[in-house]
Amino acid sequence: MLFRIILLLIISATIQAHARPVSYPGGWTVSTFNDADRYSGFIHYSPTAFYSIGYHVEYWRDRDYQIHALHINNLIKRWNAEASQGNFYLMSGIGFAHSDEGDFDNRAELAAYGGIAADWETRKVFFSYANRYTDAGNIADSFRQKARFGFAPYVTEYGNWHTWLMMEVRHAPESKDQFVATPLVRLFKGADLFEAGVSDQGDVLFNFVHRF
Amino acid sequence: MKKLIVTFLIIFLSNFNVIASDLPSVKVGEVDPNGEVVTVKAFGLVCDFCANAIEKVFMRKDEVSGIDVSLDKHHILIALKEGKQLADEEITKLVTDSGYDIKEINRSRSVAEQ
Repeated sequence: MLFRIILLLIISATIQAHARPVSYPGGWTVSTFNDADRYSGFIHYSPTAFYSIGYHVEYWRDRDYQIHALHINNLIKRWNAEASQGNFYLMSGIGFAHSDEGDFDNRAELAAYGGIAADWETRKVFFSYANRYTDAGNIADSFRQKARFGFAPYVTEYGNWHTWLMMEVRHAPESKDQFVATPLVRLFKGADLFEAGVSDQGDVLFNFVHRF
Repeated sequence: MKKLIVTFLIIFLSNFNVIASDLPSVKVGEVDPNGEVVTVKAFGLVCDFCANAIEKVFMRKDEVSGIDVSLDKHHILIALKEGKQLADEEITKLVTDSGYDIKEINRSRSVAEQ
């Protein structure tokens, strides 16, 4: 466990040195995510244009445990073109997991996670992929990956309401439902982004991001 | 005399209209008619978060009176205050540090000088 945590931190620190901006310097982001597996919330700050750092909390419903972590986003590479943008990120966190389930009566363990994310978008189409390995000691150990495709039925200028129709597929090898597909709608205006959908298993997806 | 006043008013109002219609519009802040206007063509501006980031970064600068980011035109219009300057190098740094690339920078004289 300790080796894995050290490895994640080394990877994170190494990549930070070569990273491109995640957000604009001095910007804050708050976000909440709710999907088939978990509820989570972030607040993070971008001190430079190269990374953001913040607090991340999540609650995994099936195993009834929480993770509280110091979270780092690194933008490793961005590809800008006249009408498109591509990004490659590393996301990592370290903290503790807490569970009340079964034998884990009020038990806390060291936890760490790491993963990559990539996206490419124009103003009409969107593709993304993300994965994450989580090690929460004896409480949990999981791998998740997600892919998304989306398109905008209309294109409008900055400051108007943008609408995206998307399909997200989540793969969790150790889960009872290995594949979960979620059609969703993204609404986007200025500094606010909302997403809502219902999966093929009946789980509600609701995400919100605000930048300031 | 009456004719002269009417002629003067027509000339004055027509000039005023030209000046008013030449003023570019900005989403944030305002255009100083005596300030320089800089138009930056940028790559990577594809969503509202991108445009919002550029607005925030430039509006922190004391030299800037207003800004307009267009996703349709892929450009950033920066209105400067009278007598203030923002060098190409600084504009480039602000844009690239925000995560976007510069294609070209064009400057125009203040509207009042045109």
